[in-house]
Amino acid sequence: MIHTENLSKTYMMGDVEVQALRAVDLEIKDGEFIAIIGPSGSGKSTLLNLIGCLDTPTSGAVFIDGIDTGKLSENGLAEIRREKIGFIFQQFNLIHTLNALENVALPMFFAGVGRETRIKRADELLAKVGLGDRMYHKPSELSGGQQQRVAIARALSNDPEVVIGDEPTGNVDTETGNAIMGILKGLNRDGRTIIVVTHDAEIAAYAGRTKRMRDGRVLD
Amino acid sequence: MRDKFLLAFRSIRERKARSILTVLGIAVGIAAIVSLMSVGYGMEEAITGELTGMADMISVMPGEIRGAHSYIEKGSFTDRDVSDLQRIGGIKEISAMTYDAAEVEYRNENVPIFVFGGDTKELEGFYVEPVGLKEGRWLRENDYKACVIGDRVANDFFDEVIHVNDKLVINSDKFIVVGVFEKGDMLYSNDVDSNIFLTLRAAKEVLQTDEIKYIIVRVYKIEEAERVAEEIEEVINDNHGLDDFAMAMTMGSMIEMMDDIFNIIQGVLVGIAAIALIVASIGIMNTMLMSVMERTHEIGVMKAIGAKSRDVLSLFLLESSIVSLVGGVTGCVVGVIVAKVLSFLGSTASGLEIAAIVKPEVLLAGIAVAVIVGVLSGFYPARKASRMSPVEAVRYG
Repeated sequence: MIHTENLSKTYMMGDVEVQALRAVDLEIKDGEFIAIIGPSGSGKSTLLNLIGCLDTPTSGAVFIDGIDTGKLSENGLAEIRREKIGFIFQQFNLIHTLNALENVALPMFFAGVGRETRIKRADELLAKVGLGDRMYHKPSELSGGQQQRVAIARALSNDPEVVIGDEPTGNVDTETGNAIMGILKGLNRDGRTIIVVTHDAEIAAYAGRTKRMRDGRVLD
Repeated sequence: MRDKFLLAFRSIRERKARSILTVLGIAVGIAAIVSLMSVGYGMEEAITGELTGMADMISVMPGEIRGAHSYIEKGSFTDRDVSDLQRIGGIKEISAMTYDAAEVEYRNENVPIFVFGGDTKELEGFYVEPVGLKEGRWLRENDYKACVIGDRVANDFFDEVIHVNDKLVINSDKFIVVGVFEKGDMLYSNDVDSNIFLTLRAAKEVLQTDEIKYIIVRVYKIEEAERVAEEIEEVINDNHGLDDFAMAMTMGSMIEMMDDIFNIIQGVLVGIAAIALIVASIGIMNTMLMSVMERTHEIGVMKAIGAKSRDVLSLFLLESSIVSLVGGVTGCVVGVIVAKVLSFLGSTASGLEIAAIVKPEVLLAGIAVAVIVGVLSGFYPARKASRMSPVEAVRYG
């Protein structure tokens, strides 16, 4: 289970202080599929980055399975990102020098998984997202939708309980977007917690629960 | 570890252009150090080598050298001086020479030129062997109206170039040119290029003098040179009843006089090395900083998918060391080639035999500089990027 307490984040944009997140309390149950929807600048990506341990809050706390992530060291946070969470970015963020298989295997490499296991599992994951025939292609040789599917396979690499998607369909066409959401829906059916941020109500409809955000606050 | 190597190699290979440029950036700096140092050592060696080849030689002059350039002549030696010297122990050879300016005519042109006369065997050892003849042959003791001329006498002094078998008039006596010297290098050009050489007999006659202006003595043992030089001065000073009539200079003391020059050469060497080192280091830092900084985004992605700062850092350090090492080795190879080319060009230009000396410690230092500076300058941006929050790093690029 993930929950946030009084979570706030303030950025400095030059001399101007921007309150991206204002005292957010949110609870996400295990196995839930939640969509956070809101216009750009509403703070939804900031919230996601904090839950995903990619960033640290200005005040307040994020608890993952009861662990206060604010009390963890750098390495402790890295471990959570590696073991418990799979992150999918809007820009895919694949390593462009590595092929699809190597990209998927990379989180396992950092987790210290042996070479053979890495390749076998990456192979399976790519097959699962329908890219069994594109394993040795570089990201530049793949379409946007294919790249995002590689990114999903990568997010699943260390078998995390939670998959987080920051506008995962933002850079693909509607049809591909639906296919990607279908994959996420399937992952949720397998028991994984899925958290997706979007500004598209149609995409949000895949989720079991939708939360709206505006001006750094979660609306009820 | 093996996997890390593979990953690092992968990343280097996939960024071919960038990696090659980085390697080149490093190699250029290291090549500069290696080539300049090697040529510098070669130059130093060439000059000392040339001097030590003449270490058994003592020059005896009737006068004294004041300061760096002025020589004050106090008279000339006599035949008695020369025969008295033969009593001194440890002397292998004595060669008496005379010289003076003479009026030389060639095809109706008159030019004053120094005429040198001496024992032909001795002169051969002193000048012909190191400098070499371009045309013709060297003088023989039984030659009479024959002369050998320096490079500038043949090519520069008269409107027309002088060749073997041409005739010169020296102080109204006709001489036939039997040989022409090569152009002398730094050490010899003063003594050879602008002079005309005759047998001692012919020189005495044409210069109308019995005066001996210069005696060259060779000793058996180099370590005895100083003692012999002192005795020579004593014997000749006694003959002339003066305290400081003769000056006998060993090559050792000439080398001492040239100490200043060596200090300058050493200083220049150190200076060159220091500049090359700074240039190389800045170049390496720049290329490495840039190549790691432009990958901040990649570092962010790696961290976002669970890499620890340490993982990222070790990966990038490994990459930096591989690139630096390849750059360092490439630089050494290029540096050695450049040194050889430079020393060849230098030898051709100066006439002095300069062979680049590649010292293994210079090569090792070059590689060490490449790796140390490369890794350190890769370390800084990699650490900076690995300490950013993943969100911040991912936003880059």
